[in-house]
Amino acid sequence: MGSAGWLFLFGVLMAAGLLFCMVFFIIMFSDLECDYINPIDLCNKLNQFVLPENIAHASLTLLFLVFGQFTAFLLNLPLVLYNADKIRKKSHMYDATEIFRTLNGHKKETFLKLGFYLLSFFYYLYRMIAALIAESE
Amino acid sequence: MSSPAQQLPPGWAAEWNPEHQRYLFIETATGHTQWEHPIAQQQPPEPSTSPPVTTAAQSHHKRRQYAAGQTQAYYGAAEAAPDPGYVAPGLQPQPAGGQLFTPGLAAENQFQSQQTQAPGQPHPYFTQPLEQPTYLEPYDQQQQQRSNYVQPGVDALAGQFGQMGMGGQKQFQLYTTNLLTSPPDPHELFKPPPEIRLPPNACISPSPYANAEPSYQRCTINAIPTTSSLLNKAKIPLALVLTPYRSLKDGDDAVPVVTDTVIARCRRCRTYINPYVQFIDGGNRWRCCMCNMSNEVPQLFDWDQATNQPGDRWQRAELNHSIVEFVAPTEYMVRPPQPAVYVFLIDVSHSAVQSGMVATATRTILENLGRIPDEDGRTKVALICYDTSLYFFSISAESSMLVVSDIEDVFLPKPTDLLVNLAECRAPLESLLGRINDMFRENSIIGSAMGPALQAGYKLMSAIGGKLVVLSSSLPSVGAGALKNREDPKILGTAKESGLLQAASPFYKTFAIDCSRAQVSVDMFLFSQVYQDVASLSHLPHYTSGQTYYYPAFNAARPEDALKFAREFGDVLAMPIMLEAVMRVRASRGLRMSSFHGNFFVRSTDLLAMPAVPQDQSYAIEIQIEETITTPFVVFQTAVLHTTCYGERRIRVVTLALPTTTNLSEVFASADQIAIATLLANKAVERSLTHKLEDARDFVHQKLVDILVAYKSSMTSGGAGASAQLAISDNLKMLPVLVLGLLKNVGLRQSGQIPPDIRAYAQAMLTSLPSQLLIPYIYPVFYSLHDMPPEAGTVGESGVIMPPPLPLSSERLQRYGLFLIEDGQTIFLWVGRDAVPQLIMDVFDLPSYDVLRGGKITLPVLENPFSQRVNAVIQKTREMRRGVYYPHLYVVKEDGEPALRLWALSALIHDRADMLPSYQMFLTSLKEKVNST
Repeated sequence: MGSAGWLFLFGVLMAAGLLFCMVFFIIMFSDLECDYINPIDLCNKLNQFVLPENIAHASLTLLFLVFGQFTAFLLNLPLVLYNADKIRKKSHMYDATEIFRTLNGHKKETFLKLGFYLLSFFYYLYRMIAALIAESE
Repeated sequence: MSSPAQQLPPGWAAEWNPEHQRYLFIETATGHTQWEHPIAQQQPPEPSTSPPVTTAAQSHHKRRQYAAGQTQAYYGAAEAAPDPGYVAPGLQPQPAGGQLFTPGLAAENQFQSQQTQAPGQPHPYFTQPLEQPTYLEPYDQQQQQRSNYVQPGVDALAGQFGQMGMGGQKQFQLYTTNLLTSPPDPHELFKPPPEIRLPPNACISPSPYANAEPSYQRCTINAIPTTSSLLNKAKIPLALVLTPYRSLKDGDDAVPVVTDTVIARCRRCRTYINPYVQFIDGGNRWRCCMCNMSNEVPQLFDWDQATNQPGDRWQRAELNHSIVEFVAPTEYMVRPPQPAVYVFLIDVSHSAVQSGMVATATRTILENLGRIPDEDGRTKVALICYDTSLYFFSISAESSMLVVSDIEDVFLPKPTDLLVNLAECRAPLESLLGRINDMFRENSIIGSAMGPALQAGYKLMSAIGGKLVVLSSSLPSVGAGALKNREDPKILGTAKESGLLQAASPFYKTFAIDCSRAQVSVDMFLFSQVYQDVASLSHLPHYTSGQTYYYPAFNAARPEDALKFAREFGDVLAMPIMLEAVMRVRASRGLRMSSFHGNFFVRSTDLLAMPAVPQDQSYAIEIQIEETITTPFVVFQTAVLHTTCYGERRIRVVTLALPTTTNLSEVFASADQIAIATLLANKAVERSLTHKLEDARDFVHQKLVDILVAYKSSMTSGGAGASAQLAISDNLKMLPVLVLGLLKNVGLRQSGQIPPDIRAYAQAMLTSLPSQLLIPYIYPVFYSLHDMPPEAGTVGESGVIMPPPLPLSSERLQRYGLFLIEDGQTIFLWVGRDAVPQLIMDVFDLPSYDVLRGGKITLPVLENPFSQRVNAVIQKTREMRRGVYYPHLYVVKEDGEPALRLWALSALIHDRADMLPSYQMFLTSLKEKVNST
């Protein structure tokens, strides 16, 4: 298996991980709505995952750039910039005092990210298989 | 009114109806009967701006109602009707005969006939000056234009509304007012909100207290639309404005307490039993008014435990009162009721000692030790002083001071004796309080470790909870929560300004959350002469249900400053507080509480955590209509589970029932302008933090435009086209001026001059003041004292009689006059430059205007009636509202210090002030916006 194959295999695994992370976020948000968890615990829990998730996604994007996979890189670039902008504005963390006011926005964002990771998961899978086939021929 | 029979038109007869205590009018030819006077209907309305208060008291709706069809029939042609502009889309009289008119309407008609009988008599209460240039000039032109306003559409519309009533329920009358021709009348703001007209038999109690008083809980619309599309059509925001822990002034009824711990609640929705439930099954079960669930009545419900005999359930307080307190049994406790705890954090840095804050504060605590709520002898008190180190006091027979200078990792130097029982340690506490100022008299340390002091206080009390009272006169500079001076005159008035209103350090949010969890509430008393970052500091009270008090440039050497602070601080200490409180608002099916504004922490979707609830704090809760409401009325119930400061677990329940409606005109006719203004103030402040100040102002302005557009397109015949008038229902006619006041309030005003501290404090006020204090804060009260009526300032039936309020326009200022402007927080005594020496002599005991100095003043009480009346008016101004605020009195000379003069003039919001429009300009721009959409 060549470098492209390995890269996209890694991409598939990362996308799956990020996907699970987003599912976890959504479950937590709906828990909050149903009053199974209080906002303070929720924010403490979720905030642990925010930066790792952003870093994981950014490093994957960087890997695509390093390996010259420009399509994949360009696909991921907008989200990296979006995350970076949020960190710059210091609004990336969930704020327990505002959470109920901003919950709908958070949910929407998480769902969009979920969709994005899902699509990229299949895209990486496709690229991985394509790379493998190209190699074996 | 005198016998109406004398003034009847030909063909009519009047008959006294003893049952309804009024005349019934009969048209002899047709046998047609009606309640209202046939002539009164056809009288042209006076263009007068103020009705006598006597009628205002009886009726909410001031504008009279004329049936367009009848007017025309009587006069023959439309041009004979002198002022058809007032023909409101409303009720066509007697299409089916026998339809009753509302009492408000009858009162109006009485007013009409009074006016016709004695046209020359002046108003008994309010002598309006004859000349009123701004308002009367356009009036004449308007009158011409308005005659084309009556169109056949109005009649059709009127007939339509007449038939759309709910069965048996009296309908709201909609009275249209043209804002361009009716200048705002300050009297309007003293009127009660539109009447709540519940369907008959909604309430099982005949008690007049069965529905909540507006001062406890009021809704922006007093007839709830059944669908959200109807609500969206009206554009009026739907929200509750509540002050569940309102203080009791003289004459207020105490809240009844249910002591037998029999608490009937709905099994499904947990609603408390209230006067709007239904008893079924022979009284053995009750049907919940919110979810329709049938519940069993508890066995002991009909048992009087005091006498141990069967009791009468109809006597129970919860079935007769909308505001009631239940004594809660142990199921409502997470732990045994906590004692009240007060921890004082006193800044003793150089500036604090020099300003006299430390001396005043310690003396006030000392003097008020006896007033701190301590009925059960369990109240605990601790004192911590701080500059860049912390000074703890071990309070016992021999008190000692323990200095902790490690502020990175705060620890308590001693496990005991720091937090002591107030009753047991009274003497050592008193001697300590007497000595603190001397101890730090020579302190030259500059800087403040407020963050570490907060952490220390938190450690001391986190096991119990209670109140953390912070007194600070400098910017926190070391340790956790240190802040930088971020005040930058260059960015004031720009888009970046809202950044200054947000918390600069995350500490103030995370610490607030810790406090809320540990049931600790923080009160901030801020005194700095320089920038103190009130915006960041006020976050702590905001999320822990405390309150921020700000005394800019406090200097105890001025007796007025010391007096104001000592009074307010003393009242805060003496205030009974609710500890460990949670609040939840329940509503009938189909309604959901969607967002919450005020000082608390939202702990779950609808649960508000409030560690210590002070009195007279207001909250606003927005409501969403989620599904179509099918019931004829809906109920809102606020429940506050709390521990009283004398160690009893209680639940305060406030129930408000409102009718529902399918009729858009009823939605408009029942809107409560004061509640809407209160809500808008909350929403605007919130928006200025998340967006920009500009956005907040635009938001409020747009909301008003939306309401006006909605009214114009659905309630007037003008429809979508351009119209020469700006119509709104009569009960909302003060809304534009309140919105203008809000836009001109220090908290939101467009200006590059307002220091961020002052702005942040004003915003904290806008979100926490109850309507009674908020309305004067955005729309100040203006009296003319030199020519006040002879009875003003003397004691009448309901206390001191106040002079009539004037519209807030500087046209009313006269060069020889003495005026008073007050907004609940400050009182300005305006002295005209040509004031006669006698006036100055009488009021200030000074020989002439030239010797008088502007600024803060304590007015002497002199041996002349005028001085005593002026003092009585000022005294009443300070006392008539709820809340601890004791306004400063400033003397403003017409040619005095410009800053003070401009400050006083900025309260006159009808005027134009640099970039801010005058009321007339504001209305014109509103009209343009309305016509262009």
